[in-house]
Amino acid sequence: MTAPRKRFLQTVVEVEGRTETRIVEVPAFEPAPWTADAPLSIVGTSPLRVDAFEKVTGRARFTTDITRPGMLHAVIVRAPIAKGTLTAIDLDAARTLSGVRAVFGPGDAPAATRLFRREVSYAGQPLAAVCADSLDQAERAAGAIAASLTFDLAPHAITGHDAIAPDAPRVRKDGNTIAPDVVHRGDVDRGLAEANVTLSLEYRTPVALHSALEPHGAVCEWNGDHLTVWESTQGIFRVRKDVATALDLPQARVRVLKDYMGGGFGAKNGAGAHTYTAALFASALGVPVRCINDRRAEQTDSGNRPATVQQVTIAARRDGTLTALVLDALVPLGVSGWEGGPAQIFHEMYACPNVRTTETFVYINASGMQAFRGPGYVEGAFALEGAMNTLARTLQMDPVALRLRNLATRDERANREFSGNRLDECYAEGMKRFGWPSSVSRPSSPFSRVKRGVGIAAQTWPTGGGPPSYAHVRINSDGSVDVLAGTQDLGTGARTIFAQIAAEALGARLDTVRAVIGDTERLPYTGNSWGSMTTPSVGPAVRMAAEDARMQLLEAAAQMLDEPVESLSTRDSQILSHAGVCLSFADLCRKLGNVQILGLGSRGPNPALAIVTVGAQFAEVEVDTDTGVVRVLRLVAVHDAGRIINPALAESQLHGGIIQGLGYALFEERHLDRARGVPLNANLHDYKVPTMVDIPAIDASFLVGADPAANHIGARGIAEPPIIPTAPAIAAAVADALGVEVREIPLTPWRVLGALAQ
Amino acid sequence: MRITVNGSPRDVDTEQSPILLAALRDQLDLTGPKLGCDHGECGACTVRLDGDLVYACLTLTAACENARVETVEGLGTGNTLHPLQQAFITHDASQCGFCTPGQLMAATALLDQNPHPTDDEIRVAMSGNLCRCGTYPKIINAIRAMANGASQ
Ligand code: FES
Ligand code: FES
Repeated sequence: MTAPRKRFLQTVVEVEGRTETRIVEVPAFEPAPWTADAPLSIVGTSPLRVDAFEKVTGRARFTTDITRPGMLHAVIVRAPIAKGTLTAIDLDAARTLSGVRAVFGPGDAPAATRLFRREVSYAGQPLAAVCADSLDQAERAAGAIAASLTFDLAPHAITGHDAIAPDAPRVRKDGNTIAPDVVHRGDVDRGLAEANVTLSLEYRTPVALHSALEPHGAVCEWNGDHLTVWESTQGIFRVRKDVATALDLPQARVRVLKDYMGGGFGAKNGAGAHTYTAALFASALGVPVRCINDRRAEQTDSGNRPATVQQVTIAARRDGTLTALVLDALVPLGVSGWEGGPAQIFHEMYACPNVRTTETFVYINASGMQAFRGPGYVEGAFALEGAMNTLARTLQMDPVALRLRNLATRDERANREFSGNRLDECYAEGMKRFGWPSSVSRPSSPFSRVKRGVGIAAQTWPTGGGPPSYAHVRINSDGSVDVLAGTQDLGTGARTIFAQIAAEALGARLDTVRAVIGDTERLPYTGNSWGSMTTPSVGPAVRMAAEDARMQLLEAAAQMLDEPVESLSTRDSQILSHAGVCLSFADLCRKLGNVQILGLGSRGPNPALAIVTVGAQFAEVEVDTDTGVVRVLRLVAVHDAGRIINPALAESQLHGGIIQGLGYALFEERHLDRARGVPLNANLHDYKVPTMVDIPAIDASFLVGADPAANHIGARGIAEPPIIPTAPAIAAAVADALGVEVREIPLTPWRVLGALAQ
Repeated sequence: MRITVNGSPRDVDTEQSPILLAALRDQLDLTGPKLGCDHGECGACTVRLDGDLVYACLTLTAACENARVETVEGLGTGNTLHPLQQAFITHDASQCGFCTPGQLMAATALLDQNPHPTDDEIRVAMSGNLCRCGTYPKIINAIRAMANGASQ
C-alpha cells in the first residue's frame, strides 16, 4: 500500500502589492464555496471578541508584560548622528555602574545581525547595548556610553533630492539609487494627443510613523541550546527564520511565541535589533533578557512609510474618459527597504488604456522604511485621487460621475478578470449615506471665516491572500474544539473569526470552539499577518480542517448509530439523522474516548483572477481660514470585501484605517533636522496622532455579499483598504471649502494658510 | 513605604522603583497599566490616585505614601466585571487592547465627576489617552451607553 500522492502547483500571491509566484500544495479536497446565499448562522454575525474579557481586565499579557525568573533588561545605545564613523566609545563607563551585567559594542555581535557597526549611516542606528538588573540601571548605563561617543562626521543626504544631486554624499556602497522602475501599457503619447484636457500636478506626502502603542520588543530565554523568543510580531514564523539565520541556529531550536500585541500596522514583520540584542545577552549571561524599544527608539528606528514626490499628468476627453495617466515618483526609502512605491494603484484603479509610471527609489541617511498599512497605495492614492478630483473640477463634472465613467471592469495591469468588484455599488451606497452631493451644509455667508467643503476618493487593494497556510481542528474527548493555527491576532480579531469559521463548518456551538494561535513550535505554519491576508489565507485552511474533522465525526457517528453517513448532519454541536436521532458531539466523543479527531486544512492555490477589495469614502470638513485649522466633520466609507466574517469587528478595522488616514491627512509627519539628520519629533507629543477630539462622525460599512470566486469562504481582506482613500477625500473636501488645492500633506494650519495666501 | 492599591495595603520599595508605574508593574505585578511612552504622551499608564487621574509614568512613588491607587485590576471583583468593562466588551471598544486599561481608568474618572457627559465632554475628557488602533468611536459608544444606563 502506498501513501496518497500529494500534488503541487504554481500559484501567484500578492503581498502588499508585490506579486510572488509560489509552489504550493493542492489540498486533497476543497469544500464547495460558501456562496452569497449560503445558509450560514455564525459566519456573518457579530459575536463578541473572544479575548475582550482579558483586554478589559488588564489580564491580557503583552510582550512588554512577560516576566521570567531572573530576567534582566537590555537597552540599546543609538547613533546621534546621521553619517560618519564611530572613533571612540567607552564601554567601561557602563561596566562599572551598579547592576550592569554585560555590555556589547562594535564587533560583539554576529555580522548577520548587522548590530553595533562603527560605520554609521543613519541616526538611531544601534552602536552598543547594555544589560542590567533593572531597566533604570540599563538606561543609566546606556546614557554613560552615549556620553562617551565620538565620531568622524561625514556629509549626509536626508531627502530624496539631496540623495540624487550630482555631488550627493554616498549613502550606501552600492549607490544611492536603484534603477528606475518603469511600467507602462498602451501608448501614452497617443493618449496625450487624444486628450481635450491635460493637467500636470505635483503631490507630496510625508514620512509617517506606525506609532503602535506597544513598542517593538522581545524577551529571550535559552534552555540549553533551545531559544524561546516572546516577540510582539505580525509574523512568528518569520521571526523564527530571522533569528535562526542571524544566529546560525536550526529553526527547530528556536520557538517564537506571541500572545497579545499592541498593534503592528506593518512595522512588526520580523526580528529586529531588540530581538538579537536580547538573544545575545541571554546567551552570554545564561538568563532571560527583555529588550523593549523606548518611545524615542520606536519613533526613530522601527520603520516608517516613506515620503514621496509625485508628478502626475492626467489627460482626458471632454466627457471625462481618461486617455493617459503618467506618474513620475521619487521615493526616498531610508538606508534600506523594498520598492513599495505609489505606482501600482495608477495601473489598477481606472480603465485608462495608456499608463506609464516611473518610480525612482533612493537611499537616504535615515532609518529604513517598513510596510505601513496599504504601503504605496496610500501615497499613490493621494496623488491619483487628487488628480481625478482636479480633473473633475476642470471638466465641471461630478467627481463620482468621472470615476464611474472610468470604472475598471477588469485588472488591466495583470490582464485578469476580477473575482468580484462592486465599486460602482460602493459609490452608490456612499452617495446615499452621505447625501452626495445635495446635502452639503454650506455656511450661510460667503464671508464667513469658517468654510465647509466635501470631497470623495476611492481605493483598490489586492486582498486575495494565498497559500501556504495550514490549520488543524482538534475535537477533544468532551466535544470541545481547538482550532490550531500559527497565526497572530494584532487586535484584528483573528482569534474570534477563526473560531467562527470553524464553528460554522463543523456545526459546533461557538462557545465550544477556541482558537489557539501564536506559537511556532506547536502550531501549523501560517504566513505573516500583513497585506490584509490573514482572513483569506488562513480562513479557508481553518474551514477545510473543520470540514475534515466534521467528516470524521460523521463517520464515527454513522458506525455508532448504524445509519448511513449521508443521512447525517451537524448543528449546534449535535449530530442529527434523517431518522430524527440526535447525538451530541460530547456524547459521541465521550464514547470515542481518546480516539482523536484531528482535521487537517490547508490553503489551496489562488484562481487566475484579480482579487481586490475596493471602496469609496466621502468627507465633509470645516476650515478656519483665520487659523488654518481643518476639522473633519464626518466621513462615510463603503467598501466591498466579499463576505464579512464578523461585521462588528470589521467595522472596528474600518474605523482604525480611517482614523490613521485622518492622521496622515492632517497631522502626521516625521521631521529630521536638515543640518544634523537627526529626528526632531521622535515622541508622541510632537509627532501627533489623532486623539478622540479629532474624530468626526464616522459611518463605515461594507456591502453585503460574498466572493466565492476568490476562495471557498468568500472573504477578502479588509485591514488596509480603509486607510487608502481617507487623505485624498479630506484633501478634496478642503480644496472644495477653500477653492484652493493643497497638494502636500499633512494639511497643517501652516500649509493651509500658505495656500490661502497665494 | 505603604500604598493602598485597589483597596489593599501594599508595601513598595521606592528606591527600587522611584516611579509609580514601575512600582505597580515590577513590584506588584499589576501589568494592566502599560508603558507606552514614559513621558505623559499616550495615557497607556493611566491610573487613579485618590480618585484623580494620573499618568503613572510621571508619578513619583514617594508621592503616593498612604494614598489610594486604583488600576484596571481593581475595577471589577474576581470575575465580576465593572459595568464599564462590560460596556467596553459589548461595544467592541478594544482592538489590540494595549490602551484599554488606561482608557477604562480615564472613563471611570470622567463618569465619577460627570455621570451624564455629552459626546463633546467625552471627547475632551478622553483626549489624553491615545488609541493607535482607532477604537475611539466605539469607546465613545461604550461610555455613552454606560452613562445612559446609569440614568435609568
Ligand atoms: S506611558 Fe505614561 S503617558 Fe505614556
Ligand atoms: S486598541 Fe490598540 S491602541 Fe487602543
